[in-house]
Amino acid sequence: MPVWQSIYEELKSENFEIISVAQDTGGEEAAGYIYDDANVSYTAIIDVNHQISSIYNLVNVPSGVWIDEQGKIMRINEGTYAKEHMNGAWGTNDYVPIVRDWVKKGADSEYVWDRDKVRESIVQRTPEAERAQPAFRLGGYYFTNDNDEKAEQYWTMAQELDPTSWNYLRQDLLYEEGGSAGPEWRARREKIEGAGGNYYAPLEIENN
Amino acid sequence: MKTIRSIAGLTAVMLISGTLSAQSATVLYNERVVELEQTLPDATDLWVKPEDLTRVNDFVLKPEGACLDELCVPVLQDRDGAMFITRRGQAWFNVTELANKLQQAYVTDYNDGIWSFGTMPVTRQSFLRGGEAPDFELMGRDGELVRLSDFRGKKVLLLTWASW
Repeated sequence: MPVWQSIYEELKSENFEIISVAQDTGGEEAAGYIYDDANVSYTAIIDVNHQISSIYNLVNVPSGVWIDEQGKIMRINEGTYAKEHMNGAWGTNDYVPIVRDWVKKGADSEYVWDRDKVRESIVQRTPEAERAQPAFRLGGYYFTNDNDEKAEQYWTMAQELDPTSWNYLRQDLLYEEGGSAGPEWRARREKIEGAGGNYYAPLEIENN
Repeated sequence: MKTIRSIAGLTAVMLISGTLSAQSATVLYNERVVELEQTLPDATDLWVKPEDLTRVNDFVLKPEGACLDELCVPVLQDRDGAMFITRRGQAWFNVTELANKLQQAYVTDYNDGIWSFGTMPVTRQSFLRGGEAPDFELMGRDGELVRLSDFRGKKVLLLTWASW
């Protein structure tokens, strides 16, 4: 978060905005201090219903989307860290430079995707996965109204309807023993990666 | 024994009022939570008064049908049909039937009368087929409403993250 703030300071005068959206059912209490600690001055939102993941078909965090001056998507669905963490255990130093390149050069940036590549990169949902989103929303409604039993019921339903969503899984695990990055999450991740899948949609920076 | 009788009595009252008068319902759609005082009791579908339709999902019932901007789904209103019926002079509109027509997903807790609707595919074609960024409206931390469309003319880096 502090890194994004410094990028924002550097580039904001170039017709550039960062809209940062926390996918946190726990709301201000869960995520607010992280924005505060980084003194962010860009647009900050706490999205308790994960609406942005719903409408942009994103299944994990962090994820990034580039949107140009006319509202066209230029890149989407990438695991977008601002820097490497723990000596490269996760995160990347490769993303910020390409953001900078895009802000400076716009459509001439070599990192801008063509329309076909953008379309192909949008996650397609099955009809079941479409239902996962109102199920998750319903669980969140019960969570907010202190009905944990029904919250659990509909969050579980959301995970069953859309097993590709890490967001649904980890938001739910947060309120269970083991937490959002505990044994169950690790087992799920290893299973998917063992089958050749990705936890994060890979950054494709060299391919243009 | 007294308790049992009073519970039985209460249940009877609830059953009668439930069958005779319309029942309340809660609708979730995007960020909105809409409380409806009266819906038509139905085992599977959500029937609302036409004047409540717009509160529920932005559609407006017009002579030509249920309309959202330029899109209109035809609805016969001079006789009973799958989407529109009249009972005792009161018109009712079937929101779940409209959702089915639009392939809009929904999940219902029938016991509590809570209907949760997903995004509408018809509003998403430009995203799914054209790679246009879907607009959104969410409350910012500073209390100001954030609309993506307000940032036209700027490049926007949209980032999701989570505390968990």
